Amino acid sequence: MKKLWIGSTAMALLLAACTSETEEAVQTTDATAAPAEDTGKTEVVFWHAMSGELETALNTLVDDFNASQEEYEVEPVFQGTYEEALTKLNTVAGTDESPAMMQVFEVGTKFMIDSGHIQPVQDFIDEEGFDTSIWEENITNYYSVDGVQYSMPFNSSTPVLIYNKDAFEAAGLDPEKSPMTYSELKEAAAALTEGEQKGFSILNYGWFFEELVAAQGGLFVDAENGREGQATEAVFNGEEGLNVFNLIKDMHDEGTFYNSGQNWDDMRAAFQSGATAMILDSSAGVKGMIDNAPFEVGVGYLPVPDDAERNGVIIGGASLWMADDIEAEQKQGAWEFMKYASSAEAQAQWHVDTGYFAINPAAYEEQIVVDQWAEYPQLKVTVDQLKETQANAATGGALISVFPEARQRVVNAMESLYQGADPQEALDQAAEETNRALEVDAAKNGN
Amino acid sequence: MTTMQHEFTADRQVERKRAWSNWATGMLFLLPSLLLFGVFLFYPMVRTVYLSLFLTDSQGVPIVFVGWENFLNLFQSTSFQISAKATALFVLYTVPAGIVLATALAILANQKLRGIGLFRTMFSATMGMSVAASSVIWMFLFNPSIGLFNRILAALNISGVQWLLDPQYALLSVSIATIWMNTGFAFLILLGGLQNIDQSLYESARIAGVSESCKLRKITLPMLSPTLFFVTTVSLINAFQTFGQIDLLTKGGPMESTNVIVYSIYKDAFINYNVGSASAQAVLLFVTVLVVTVLQFKIGERKVHYQ
Repeated sequence: MKKLWIGSTAMALLLAACTSETEEAVQTTDATAAPAEDTGKTEVVFWHAMSGELETALNTLVDDFNASQEEYEVEPVFQGTYEEALTKLNTVAGTDESPAMMQVFEVGTKFMIDSGHIQPVQDFIDEEGFDTSIWEENITNYYSVDGVQYSMPFNSSTPVLIYNKDAFEAAGLDPEKSPMTYSELKEAAAALTEGEQKGFSILNYGWFFEELVAAQGGLFVDAENGREGQATEAVFNGEEGLNVFNLIKDMHDEGTFYNSGQNWDDMRAAFQSGATAMILDSSAGVKGMIDNAPFEVGVGYLPVPDDAERNGVIIGGASLWMADDIEAEQKQGAWEFMKYASSAEAQAQWHVDTGYFAINPAAYEEQIVVDQWAEYPQLKVTVDQLKETQANAATGGALISVFPEARQRVVNAMESLYQGADPQEALDQAAEETNRALEVDAAKNGN
Repeated sequence: MTTMQHEFTADRQVERKRAWSNWATGMLFLLPSLLLFGVFLFYPMVRTVYLSLFLTDSQGVPIVFVGWENFLNLFQSTSFQISAKATALFVLYTVPAGIVLATALAILANQKLRGIGLFRTMFSATMGMSVAASSVIWMFLFNPSIGLFNRILAALNISGVQWLLDPQYALLSVSIATIWMNTGFAFLILLGGLQNIDQSLYESARIAGVSESCKLRKITLPMLSPTLFFVTTVSLINAFQTFGQIDLLTKGGPMESTNVIVYSIYKDAFINYNVGSASAQAVLLFVTVLVVTVLQFKIGERKVHYQ
């Protein structure tokens, strides 16, 4: 029996070894694919995290670029979710296997800068005198650090409140007026809660908490959200963070809050099946929601506390980064693609296909966008909310490299609310744990 | 006297030489597996222990030597304690229940009946399903708003349960899914074990007029014990190393209630990029699995009846 056990372990090991080798082989072929040599074009490998319909839209964009010129051939390679893609990049960064261009989510910004393997696009902007003022100001605000544009904004989204208009009418609420303040939100949720239907739900995901704090002008970490220097302490457990936690806690206690877990699909299913009448969602999910929900869908701004000034939203989504240790030609190719992807036409098509923002507001004048907005007037709300955002440290978003860990801590704290934890204590604990992560990170960097 | 001594040394030399050449031949045979184990098992293990003593940069390159600090931090961290507890509970929930269930099904399916092949296929079917596919099925079943379980509860006028979202139920729910996933494998091995039992034993028992339950206790289970032992060992190790269904169903939440140790290692290494702390956890997991397996061989194997 022992023999059998050892035998099977060895088999499993062999199998495991084989799989990892084939995977590597596949990646290598991807990275050094042949067709470029045949056509004499410079190959630009592009790692991204867009799956499903988003990937189709992205491939169309890339094909259009490849057909538009003769010199460069961009090859898109799907690498899993944002987190997975970043992990993979991490293993090859600085080597020959590294992709020329990489899509990285917004909270990976600081991590990428610190990695030391990237080429800031600012150099190309300066060299060419490229006019970045054509971009949405809030987007530039997020992705530039100390005046340097490190990466090219690409797919951007913000959070919005999505509500069930039919349920609003049934509850005697005005379906054209979405709740703008916490007390309006609570009242609406109370009116909407009936039988199996709850009033409101927030996904247990750090991003929504960050956004709700920023909407009131609150910071996430010190040093002006880490933009005036290295952040050393989490400050999201202040008044603004407490407002958010109190809101969740109060609504949960009143029975008007629906806990939809950590999975986006579960939250959307809960909304579409009528388990909850209002949710927070990404602006990129709005179109899909309108298409799929069996009722009228309304879109509104993020609510803020009654006495708070509305600051606006932090830009979410991802940007395109250029690798440093690649040939000059490849860098040029990546830059050409980035310029193409941010052009008004490309962004208009991208906005229509995916629901992500156009980083270039001129895209909203394009006919396809005008037509789309006539059909889906809700999409305009998402754009307006971004346009009305004040550019400051809060809406600029926090810049820390331990963001994924900070998010886990916040999610944990959110979940503990449903178990009756005290909001301030839960927040303090999350902040303390984030501080520890910041401390370890500082120790690594020798500070 | 001197000649004798001389002969003696010569003898010993020959003997030593032979022993050495025997050893070399043996090693030559072992070389392929040693090489494989060395590259894919021993080297990573040594490297893990080494990394557990360092803080690393995001690419896993050790930069600051911290000695036992990673371990000390783990022992003080509530997260790690929750994680250890979740792992222990997960093993307790899944292994005994899974084995009892698989044994019962195997005994049922060991009858000689028409169409029994259909049942055997059904019971072992989960073996052919990947963890990912099974997890997606269970995700839909557990879904609080559109899932089957809550619909059934609603039909019975019982209020719905937040299967994967309530820290009280989440680990149990993942365990149920895991038991279902692992039953196929255990069932198949156990059925094979049952079919290997010498039929003459049952014939003798029948002649002696022994009752069915007595046959089960005195013949089937003892004769099956080597197989049961194997299945238990493998299931235990598997349970300690569970990852896929946790990642897909709960991501370690809610409130870290399903954050079993392997998931915690994954998060630390590949999301938070704390390879040092992840390595320290991996070392602790290795020691635990080793101790459990050794204990099992020391204690459990005594009860095993080898023919």
